[in-house]
Amino acid sequence: MKTPMVAGLLGLLMPALGMAGEYNLTVDRVMIDTGDFVKEGIGYNGASPGPVLRFKEGETVTINVTNNLDEMTSIHWHGLILPFQQDGVPGISFPGIQPGETFTYEFPVQQAGTYWFHSHSGFQEPDGAYGAIVIEPEKREPFRYNREYVVQLTDKHPHSGDRIMRNLKMMPDYYNRQQQTVGEFFSDSSEHGFMDTLKDRMAWGDMRMMKADVEDVQGFTGLINGKGPEQNWTGIFEPGERIRLRFINSSAMTYFDIRIPGLEMTVVQADGNNVQPVTVDEFRIGVAETYDVIVRPRDEKAYTIFAESMGRSGYARATLAPEEGMEAEVPEMREASRLTMADMGGMHGMDHGDMDHGDMDMGEPDDMAGMDHSSMEGMDHSAMAMGDSSDPFYAAGSGLMPVAANGGKFLSYADLKAQDPLYELREPTREIELRLTGNMERYSWSINGVKYEDADPIRLKYGERVRFKFVNETMMTHPMHLHGMWSILDVGAGQWNPIKHTVSVQPGTTVYMETEVDEPGQWAFHCHLSYHAAAGMFRKVIVEGGPDSTKANQDIAANAGGDA
Amino acid sequence: MNGSKVLVLAAAMSVSSTAFSAGTHGGSHGASSGEPGNASEASRTVNVEMFDNYYEPEEIDVEPGETVRFVVENKGNLVHEFNIGTPGMHEAHQDEMKMMVEHGVIQGGKLNRAMMEMDMGDGHSMKHDDPNSVLLEPGESKEIVWKFTEQSSIEFACNVPGHYQAGMYGDVNFTRGLAEQ
Repeated sequence: MKTPMVAGLLGLLMPALGMAGEYNLTVDRVMIDTGDFVKEGIGYNGASPGPVLRFKEGETVTINVTNNLDEMTSIHWHGLILPFQQDGVPGISFPGIQPGETFTYEFPVQQAGTYWFHSHSGFQEPDGAYGAIVIEPEKREPFRYNREYVVQLTDKHPHSGDRIMRNLKMMPDYYNRQQQTVGEFFSDSSEHGFMDTLKDRMAWGDMRMMKADVEDVQGFTGLINGKGPEQNWTGIFEPGERIRLRFINSSAMTYFDIRIPGLEMTVVQADGNNVQPVTVDEFRIGVAETYDVIVRPRDEKAYTIFAESMGRSGYARATLAPEEGMEAEVPEMREASRLTMADMGGMHGMDHGDMDHGDMDMGEPDDMAGMDHSSMEGMDHSAMAMGDSSDPFYAAGSGLMPVAANGGKFLSYADLKAQDPLYELREPTREIELRLTGNMERYSWSINGVKYEDADPIRLKYGERVRFKFVNETMMTHPMHLHGMWSILDVGAGQWNPIKHTVSVQPGTTVYMETEVDEPGQWAFHCHLSYHAAAGMFRKVIVEGGPDSTKANQDIAANAGGDA
Repeated sequence: MNGSKVLVLAAAMSVSSTAFSAGTHGGSHGASSGEPGNASEASRTVNVEMFDNYYEPEEIDVEPGETVRFVVENKGNLVHEFNIGTPGMHEAHQDEMKMMVEHGVIQGGKLNRAMMEMDMGDGHSMKHDDPNSVLLEPGESKEIVWKFTEQSSIEFACNVPGHYQAGMYGDVNFTRGLAEQ
């Protein structure tokens, strides 16, 4: 009982100590109250989410992590560039932290921005083991704000992570509440004709997928900073102030579409890296991504931060207000988006010759605002792009194509341009193709058709620049996260391409990213959807060589062991 | 390129020329933000450096009626503007600047000057030659001589899309004016 108290006190003293650079975290069993249900989970320093760790660029931090659980744990510093032994992935970076053990992390902080940390053991992260990291830059920020808030989202489920995984393995659609019904089959038949509807359903059956697979774990309560929609986390402001909101998606499985009705948001940072500011009405945050936005509420009133899940099965809600207790209207969730045949464009083994567009289900009307489906026969995909409402990072005609609720600007990856590029532009030395693969009916997820346990590591050479080609052959969006090195996302902007730690790959699309292989050691590389990673969409990356190449290899040998 | 896209472009052009002719520009509406000054009347020179995306300094003190010579240098890697106006004027100008980005006049660190000169069909262009502002590529430097005729709410601001919102603005503080009240 004593340890959490001391840790709590230290946590309080931390801001005052400033550059002390030493932090203490305990990993504890905690109770999580979402307003909808109360559930035992895992937290840090006695709470979930854990504390906001505030580092300063240039300091060396020492973090003592004490495991008060009766099982092994670990902490991964998501997005931080550090020696691989400090990266916190059991079996890849270190053996893990045993019950009762205190493990001390120590690494130099070489970057600034918004990041987060979480357990990389089992399903402790979905069970609540996550927190935020804010790193103050050495130099001034390239933007200005009067106050700031961390806005950390999660999809808290009443079931434990272990139970969810068991259920998914047994019945992959266990948590999929939006499946199409027999009734829908007949209503579609009367609308589109029996044969077309049958053909459409058979095509989906061939893929071992169901149309509503936008979200395969539904039934959660969306939390912001640990508060459910009714508990309404509130950030205070004075009218006219600029507020920096540091959005972090710590969900196990859920993408959120975020808007603040009545306010434009100027996006200034993505995944901790400054981007050229772009003002939007709404943005989609992938699992594990972060976006920093600046808003400027001028009126003396409350504003709702509304985060609908991409599949519209749940939402998180918070408020910005001049004083505690004020509320603004909470919008209704929009109708659920459904995948279309376009989202299976990249599906393996599909007979494209058989697809004539007249037969296609081009998505739900709400996603294709005002479009007349009867006139869509013979339309080609480029015409489907429909000007402003299309995003090149989605398959043309995709049911997931994001559309701003107010008809305004929805952020696209194509809008992200580095503010101050970290790397010089150069030709990649080689390309590695990674097909994102899976069999939904067995809840098996893989890369190039091979699960983690059966796969050889990806071997990179220190000093090379590798171009990764992600080909998503599944019907789900996969947030791919490479540890330890930046992912230079190809948005077609050359030297201004942004660097990220997590890259979303939409169904039926191919996305490229490049990596300057500048950190020796071995690293995890995986889909950040918790249950996809656990099912096998995961790889170990080994960087051979280094600035002092023999040492790196010895360290690798010394650190083998434990489980991932 | 299909027919509908041409139509959209044409519509956008005509919108922009309307915006330009509407005249939200400082020079002609000097009552609140001041007016172009004579270099010979300038009491002093203020050097303003533009970075990505902020100014140094971020505020200046002036006296009502004072004429100031600004030497503005872009030390960043992106195109930036130095524009003297009221918050309302900046807001109106931001729509015009958005158009310039959408038409490719401003591309990151490059200004397409040829396109700025282009006649948009009705004698208007995207020249950006108002006396209260300069628009600079990285490395460029220009001068503005401005007379702050009366005390009012004035900011200097960069209206390249997103920059003002992210905080690229500075306050003009009227010193003696406040003391007298």
